[in-house]
Amino acid sequence: MKLTTKQLTLCGILTTLALALSVAENQIPLSLAIPIPGIKLGLANIVTVFALYVLGPAQAVLILLARCLLGAVFAGNMNALLFSLMGGFAAMGVMILLSRLRGLSVYGVSIGGAAAHNCGQIAAAVLSLGNTAPLYYLPILLGVSLLTGALTGLMAACLFRALAHTDLMKG
Amino acid sequence: MGWKRITALLLAALAGCGLTGCGGRMDPDEAQESIQVIAMDTAMVLTAYGEKSTRAVYDAEEEVRRLDALLSRTSGDSEISMLNDAGGEMVTVGEEVCGLIQTAGEFTEATGGTFDITIAPVVSAWGFTTDSYQVPDQETLRTLLEHVGMEHVHLSGGSARLDPGTMIDLGGIAKGYTADRVAEIFQEHGVPRGKVELGGNILVIGDKPDGTAWRVGVQDPKRPDEADGLVCVLDLTDAFAVTSGSYQRYFEQDGKRYHHIIDPATGCPADSGLTSVTVMADSTLGNGTMCDALSTALFVMGEDKALDFWRSGVYDFQLVLVTEDDRVVVTEGLKDDFAELEESGYTYEYVS
Amino acid sequence: MTLRSWRKVGTPMNTSPKLRPGLWDALVVLVVAALAVSCGWTVWDGQDRGTELTAVVSVDGAETERLPLKEAAGTERTIHAGGYTLRLRLTETEIWVESADCPTQDCVHTGHISRGGQSIVCLPARVIIQLEGGERVDTGVDAVIG
Repeated sequence: MKLTTKQLTLCGILTTLALALSVAENQIPLSLAIPIPGIKLGLANIVTVFALYVLGPAQAVLILLARCLLGAVFAGNMNALLFSLMGGFAAMGVMILLSRLRGLSVYGVSIGGAAAHNCGQIAAAVLSLGNTAPLYYLPILLGVSLLTGALTGLMAACLFRALAHTDLMKG
Repeated sequence: MGWKRITALLLAALAGCGLTGCGGRMDPDEAQESIQVIAMDTAMVLTAYGEKSTRAVYDAEEEVRRLDALLSRTSGDSEISMLNDAGGEMVTVGEEVCGLIQTAGEFTEATGGTFDITIAPVVSAWGFTTDSYQVPDQETLRTLLEHVGMEHVHLSGGSARLDPGTMIDLGGIAKGYTADRVAEIFQEHGVPRGKVELGGNILVIGDKPDGTAWRVGVQDPKRPDEADGLVCVLDLTDAFAVTSGSYQRYFEQDGKRYHHIIDPATGCPADSGLTSVTVMADSTLGNGTMCDALSTALFVMGEDKALDFWRSGVYDFQLVLVTEDDRVVVTEGLKDDFAELEESGYTYEYVS
Repeated sequence: MTLRSWRKVGTPMNTSPKLRPGLWDALVVLVVAALAVSCGWTVWDGQDRGTELTAVVSVDGAETERLPLKEAAGTERTIHAGGYTLRLRLTETEIWVESADCPTQDCVHTGHISRGGQSIVCLPARVIIQLEGGERVDTGVDAVIG
């Protein structure tokens, strides 16, 4: 696909934002409740939601890919790459589908995405550990995804409102 | 304005992160895998922590099985069996077995012959390899002892030859060497902490997840059947430890007890006044093999010679000796990591 | 250029997104919550049973049987492995090898085991019977050598 300078710039900014968010969420000691290394809350999904609506799926996928790869490079941990890729793309797939449903607001889309994100991560954990023990945490993570999904939905809604008058949002 | 709201939200989110965060970072050591393996005539437990713990223990299991097949004296197609059955002919053996025979020879020399892999035919004569125990007569022992000694083992390049009548058994270092190999595999997988129990051999890597040392109990030779029958507890981090004891395998005949640690000098069970010897060393690769060989050798030597050997400083290790007269002799270097057990009925002595 | 033109590059967005949560969003919440609960049921139900004392029998490293003591109490099991036969007896609180035709008889001599973490090992038959769940034995040490 061909990207204009403006698109490229926006993609860059959004990737940076997503990276910053995933670094920030590393500070949350999720491991106290769920002792699986590599699992994240998925706050970087805010960017995915936003990109999906404003730029469309293709560029949203690009941003996600860049975020996952760069995030793994920054963390110096290739195991985390599997987690973020599987979580990220599960969320992306579900959100692309949900965003096509007219009845749903950003909240519903985000919550569905967050749930898919955590399912993807558990799948990654099952794959990388080679046993099914991580499934034990799936119910907790699904519950948590209601909160994180609502939070990302809220943030995205605020973003859309704030940018409603800029030419970014002009449909 | 919208921007204000966003800023407020971001601040709120950051504050939220700050409140729940700061507590700690993700601990990759919390993933854990543990398996039991039956090999080398013993039940082994391999436990590893860390992200690659599962792969580490299964790779280790594979290695344990490979070494079991390679070093076993009882399975007919191992390199050791082929060497023993060659009837004095030259046999091509792998680099690994060659290296182990050479290492065994070095320990034989260093310990004045109290550790010797060529004692195998004598051990068999007592029935310890077949479980059909018997006391061989003096004549038999004398004949067999003529074939004992590393001078009957010849290594050249990738081949080995045993003089007719000589047989070797690497059982005295096989588990120690296996511990070394498992330590290496765990290292390759970046295992930050783990515990490997191979019968009388143990290897601990790092400390426990709670940050304290691994607590390793030494079996009380007088209560071998009681899981909590201990003489002492050692606090170990990054260490190998091996116990050899006369209680581990023995039989009784005409009211006399015969155990499995044979003195190469007499061909009879070592009568050294000791009931068990525990050798401990740091987790430097190679120390697993060393601890295994020395625990047998020092048991045969007896208390005084064993302590002299320790003082000579040829090898870097620590000792716990349990004597027939209910004393526990502990070398200085272990003092801080050693816990006495009052109810055991032993008296404790610390030597330097 | 306008944003309208670059939307054509990707799949175009439906319309400007809805920003207020509605009934349909509540449905998503319900679905996820239902998923969490049903997952919890299936996953944790099995785990709960795991905290009950269960004898896990493995032959040559592979698990062959799981015997929850409560359910299997009063029964006898026969294990054929490695050319040997072990006869197991179970009560609600204990398991032991009643008899075996292995040469060492170590498994029989081990006697009754009754707490999580304890095990009976038969080397010749390559059988491990380990108790899982229940109250764990606390010997105060992590391992014993000798």
